[in-house]
Amino acid sequence: MGSQTQQTASHCPTRLPWLPWIVSMILIADIGNPVIGQSPPEPSDATTLTPSKNSLEFENEVWAKVVERTCIRCHHMQGDAKDSELVLETSIDGLYDPETLVRNEKAMRSVARKSFGEQSIVLQKSIGRLDHGGGQILKPDSTGYRILERFVEQTLLPTKDPKPDEAMESDQQPLFFDGITMLSETRLLRRITLSLLGRLPTPEESKAVEQDGLAALNPIMDSILREDAFYVRLKEGFNDIFLTIGIEDNAETLLSYDHFEKTRLWYQTHDFSHLPESERQRAGWKLAAVYRDALLREPLELIAYIVRNEKPFSELATADYIMVSPYTARGYGIFDEIKDQFQNSEDPFEYIPARLHALKGRDGKVQESKTGWYPHAGFLSMFHYLRRYPSTETNRNRLRARMFYQHFLGIDIMQLAPRSSDAAAVAAKYEIPTMQAPDCVVCHKTIDPVAGIFQDFNFQGELGPRKDGWYQDMFPAGFEAEVLPDEERWRASQWLAERTIKDPRFPIAMAEHVYFILVGRKVLQPPEDIEDSNFVPKRKAFLEQRKMIREVATRLKESNFNLKEAFKAIVVTEFYRADATSRTIEQPHRQAELEDVGLVRLITPEQLDRKIQAIFGKPWGRFQEEYKILYGGIDSITVTERNADPSGAMGAIQRIMANDVACLNVGLDFHRPTAERRLFPHIEPTVIPGDETSDINIRETIIALHLKILGLDLPMDHPEVDRVFDLFSGIVREAKALPSFEPRETYFCGGREDFRVDDPHYTVRAWRAVVTYLLRQHAFLYE
Amino acid sequence: MAGLGFAAPVDWQTILGAKANSTDTEGYPGPYYVVYNASGGWDTTYLMDPKGVDGINRLYQQGEILTVGNHRLAPIAKHIANGMSNEDFFAKYGSELRVFNGLDLSVNNHTPCARYMATGKLDSLAYPTFPALVAACYGAEAPLAFLTFGNYSATGNLVPMSRVPYLQSLRLLARADSVEGGTHPYQDAFASDRIERALEEQFQARVSDSRLPRVERSQSMLYAAQANSKALQRVIPFLPKEQAKERLSQQNDIALAAFKAGVCISANLSIGQFDSHNNNDADQMKLIPEFLAGIDDLLTKAEALEIRDKLVVIIQSEMGRTPNYNNGNGKDHWSIGSIMFLGPGIAGNRVIGATDEKQQLLPIHPQTLKIDSVDGIRVRPEHIHQALRELARIEDHPLSQRFPLQVPAQEKLQGFWG
Repeated sequence: MGSQTQQTASHCPTRLPWLPWIVSMILIADIGNPVIGQSPPEPSDATTLTPSKNSLEFENEVWAKVVERTCIRCHHMQGDAKDSELVLETSIDGLYDPETLVRNEKAMRSVARKSFGEQSIVLQKSIGRLDHGGGQILKPDSTGYRILERFVEQTLLPTKDPKPDEAMESDQQPLFFDGITMLSETRLLRRITLSLLGRLPTPEESKAVEQDGLAALNPIMDSILREDAFYVRLKEGFNDIFLTIGIEDNAETLLSYDHFEKTRLWYQTHDFSHLPESERQRAGWKLAAVYRDALLREPLELIAYIVRNEKPFSELATADYIMVSPYTARGYGIFDEIKDQFQNSEDPFEYIPARLHALKGRDGKVQESKTGWYPHAGFLSMFHYLRRYPSTETNRNRLRARMFYQHFLGIDIMQLAPRSSDAAAVAAKYEIPTMQAPDCVVCHKTIDPVAGIFQDFNFQGELGPRKDGWYQDMFPAGFEAEVLPDEERWRASQWLAERTIKDPRFPIAMAEHVYFILVGRKVLQPPEDIEDSNFVPKRKAFLEQRKMIREVATRLKESNFNLKEAFKAIVVTEFYRADATSRTIEQPHRQAELEDVGLVRLITPEQLDRKIQAIFGKPWGRFQEEYKILYGGIDSITVTERNADPSGAMGAIQRIMANDVACLNVGLDFHRPTAERRLFPHIEPTVIPGDETSDINIRETIIALHLKILGLDLPMDHPEVDRVFDLFSGIVREAKALPSFEPRETYFCGGREDFRVDDPHYTVRAWRAVVTYLLRQHAFLYE
Repeated sequence: MAGLGFAAPVDWQTILGAKANSTDTEGYPGPYYVVYNASGGWDTTYLMDPKGVDGINRLYQQGEILTVGNHRLAPIAKHIANGMSNEDFFAKYGSELRVFNGLDLSVNNHTPCARYMATGKLDSLAYPTFPALVAACYGAEAPLAFLTFGNYSATGNLVPMSRVPYLQSLRLLARADSVEGGTHPYQDAFASDRIERALEEQFQARVSDSRLPRVERSQSMLYAAQANSKALQRVIPFLPKEQAKERLSQQNDIALAAFKAGVCISANLSIGQFDSHNNNDADQMKLIPEFLAGIDDLLTKAEALEIRDKLVVIIQSEMGRTPNYNNGNGKDHWSIGSIMFLGPGIAGNRVIGATDEKQQLLPIHPQTLKIDSVDGIRVRPEHIHQALRELARIEDHPLSQRFPLQVPAQEKLQGFWG
């Protein structure tokens, strides 16, 4: 039986099951007390790896609702209960193959058969009896306990058949995507090019997918992933994750005064003597702004460089270089060394990889380095990353450690915080609660070693070890139970990076990042409420998605972490292509299963502006600044998560945008020569509804507008074509019935002073209403 | 990371259902719910839970603690340069103010504490904050039903959150069909009407389509957002001409205009930087007065707008600060906190709960609300949220029941507001 002291000393798991490990509040579970175990003989089927009749119930009930959520936190090979009689096999991502589940079922049944007194020890331990090291896990009147009771009963009476409905369920499991229709290849192509490039497909690309279907997509993706526009989107997407442009101070302060005192403010002494005196101050401000912008971009440029050159994305953590531009290289003081490597040494945004020498302080002391270079480790040693997640005297780099786990291993430590019975009392009781109080140790044993890795960086992320040395009242620097050797201290970030990229959670985390960029939401979490009648279908949805993520992660790893492979893998998955159902879904369980299926993403302000540019030839522009936050965008500092659902305020912006973009473009398009028109190349304002030829011309235009603006290819007799035809013709008819109207289109939406469009039949304004209507459509505003 | 519940769009059926049933063209009549967050963790011992012993406070001693009615408060007037002192705040609002001291946050990290305080649920990412829940229950169709200016703002997929950081933005949104919010409409009225009718027809026609659940919900959400946004024009008469300079006043002005116009049910207001790990006293003496002045600003302006009696105000922070100073003259995180309330249905001049001289909480009996070390319970955010749901009369609402707080019947705080 584990004493409290022993429990504390060996409390936190090392190789951790993927989900609940960090939140475990369970003390050592010492189920295997030889004194109390009394086992009846095991039935023969328990030794095989064939799923038993009751396996479905085991997985969906006992495993999913009890064991996976509780027992396995400690009862695994590296867990605190590794020496007990119950040792389960764990998974890093929540997926278990059937054989593993059978072995785990067997292990559970084995302990279920052991009894003390008249009751199975597994039931007694679960409610905290028999000195269970983990204390009380289930309440005796809880659903979880009742499930366990039934499991024990079923184990002791193995001939009992499953309920008829369970057996039936096992035979009638539909495939997850049964009855779901996928996006056509042409619409998929449009989705991809608009999402990743902000442009419409080229005729060649469209033709290729029309001819060869999905098979044509792989080479097209190769081409797409080489375009510059993709890297704009890539950097935007990764900033949503890392938020590294969210630095509040002037960016040159990223470069420490101690090490870059003489170079970081180079712009202040830039020679503007060639400019008139009156222009020099403004030029200086502009130079500083561009320099700061160039500095802020560096981390994301590293990502772009890795992906563009198909280097292993593990360089996110291991790159032994940073990206610098001619402007930022001046800040680091390395411009003269590398200026010949730039194609244009005056381009503030041309980035090349470069290394910094070991940093030299103002006192002349040079940073310890066995190579003479600054020990670069991708993001992990970048001043930007460390500044974005600063530290304090009491935080002690724990925020950095938390973000490391979240960004590099996909673990959100703060997601489900462990509850203490009395946190304040615990804090007061122990001299060093984070090392002594079990409630605290459970997380700090994992977090604090990683915090120690960053010990040579000060609160602001500059190289600057504490004068008093690293804290002794913390677990020593390291990673997952491996202590950082003293001789590796000078390159601690590199040491961590080497271990990070070998961790099986790393490729999964990277695959999840790509999923997030493409889909706009994070991956599913397992359902929490076991009382929920939809628990099983929700779990099924979760597991299906995990399978997809695992496949993408595997492909990523097998490609030597070429991140492009993750993009290519996800866009052809059913998760990305699911479009509609072949029939109405009425069963609540099926609805719950499909709740998260389908991309259906409210596109971001940045994407919306690019989409407007792709369709109309120029962006609206107001999404970049004025409406960015209002329309659910982020500023990377205080607003860091995008709105997923439109509020009334966003609905108002959609109306403004639709009104304004239609106003700006419809009249302009009719003003252009026919051959140059984007929207109305086959119709004139003189065409009014009423005769067959004109009506067909109008309907064809409506169809073309649907295709152009919404990507929908509708037949002539589609109800939506009828509806829009009625909108157009109704407006023209109503205008005609007025006593009089202005014979020219109104032009108040700005930028139109140089021309006005005659509109004697009100058709230009009616087409503007049509475009306004289309711009307010779901198909335009959502991916 | 988002939970499964997060993946789904908000509860569009609620929004549409509410819209369909809404006949009140003047919008939501109140009560309005305001949650003030002192983000980062306030020092309760410099506000409503004064100590002055054992070096807990360097700016005053126990004997200097002030009282206003039943309230005990830290004397800070002589230590502040700007804002509103405790002395003035309690003198003005003490008779309406209900204080709870000794709230057990159970953890002491910002993220889980903020989530716990906001939702009453520590171990779930799926739960809505109280203002989001009450907005969903009373008026999800309102275009700015749930306004937020920061802090933890999860909605439980019940209602969209609205961020409107600037007054000028609200002015533009209120006139979405006019060029630059001015007097020139983009379309003639009959054309606009036809656009709206076509959109409505399209929405109705889609009901029978075979759509994925996400598609179905998001199409409905979108339609509701656009259709309901027209009500924003009602805020125009209530918008101040100038944007206020103070952080909370800016938020107050937007929230008050939205309340008065009937387009908003709840607002989550926040100022940060309370996380005083260094120089605690200097920081808290700057921020507490700013915070109190912001609340005073809201109540004063609400009086002028004649909605003061409809405002339920909840004043909170995600944690307290330690009873000792660290080496940087700061105070670290403390899992025992306090919370204050005022508004209709809340009897003032009352303090419930307490902490001892070591700033440890004292359990209270849930029926008598008195200190009871034998039968008392540790009051946690779920108890407070249960009481808040009861105050707002939404405890039995189907949306509330989707997010049960699981407070045992015998632990429900009896007469908490009386």
